[in-house]
Amino acid sequence: MPSLGHYIILAIILFLIGLFGFLTRRNLIIILISIEIMLNGLIVLFAAISHFTKDISGYIIVFFIIAMAAAEAAIGLSLVVLIYRRLRTIYSDEIIHFKG
Amino acid sequence: MNWDLIIFYYLAIVMIFSSVFAIFSRHPIYTVLLVLIMIIHQAFLLLTLGAEFLTVVQLIVYAGAILVLFLFVVYLINLRKETKRNIFIKKISIVALVFLLLSAILIKNLFIFLSLSPSFKAYLPFNLEEKPNVWWIANYLFRNYLLQFEIIGVILLVAIFGACFLIRKVKIVEEK
Repeated sequence: MPSLGHYIILAIILFLIGLFGFLTRRNLIIILISIEIMLNGLIVLFAAISHFTKDISGYIIVFFIIAMAAAEAAIGLSLVVLIYRRLRTIYSDEIIHFKG
Repeated sequence: MNWDLIIFYYLAIVMIFSSVFAIFSRHPIYTVLLVLIMIIHQAFLLLTLGAEFLTVVQLIVYAGAILVLFLFVVYLINLRKETKRNIFIKKISIVALVFLLLSAILIKNLFIFLSLSPSFKAYLPFNLEEKPNVWWIANYLFRNYLLQFEIIGVILLVAIFGACFLIRKVKIVEEK
């Protein structure tokens, strides 16, 4: 049977993969998807801790995380569309609109 | 045969590899589809944790709403010419240093946490209590966490208004 350590290691691996993508990719859409991967790691962590300590609060925090991810994706993607319509690029190192 | 461990390892390995390939893929459409695979497997991982309501919420909200939103934006922004260039940023050594520092801090804290609390035991999924999981979540959500639930509703409303406002403002700017 998997223990709590298995789930925590899986959650940290997912969080680090998302962090790597968030820090190194150029495409703004993939940066937002990396944030989603980090949030999925947090979901695994909270659900596992809630399951193993037999406390229901972690499940409710997972519920709130999913709602927050929906709001964050809506705002972030509308900002990406805004940047693309103004500057005609969505690469983070080509956005030099605020330079100087 | 230890079926719980086999199912857990299958779900974990598919989740890790699909998210790694999603980060390293060149075109955003493959990224969105690989993250879809990861989210479906994570929903079944939540099912092994005894959270069947969260499984359904994960499938409906994440796979049904958020990733479709990403898919619409990927189709809206046509990037077919620009996908042949480098996919990572230029100053990758500094970023890799920051990443290694953060991951070292996280893994150190993980070992501290695992040495503190080794005494949790897993129990079989699907027969947790006599009450179902939805009963517990509804009971706690509408008694202890009612204010937070209302705040989440207000945050979603503000997000809808903000998205509509941002898109509408761009159309006015382009008409000038």
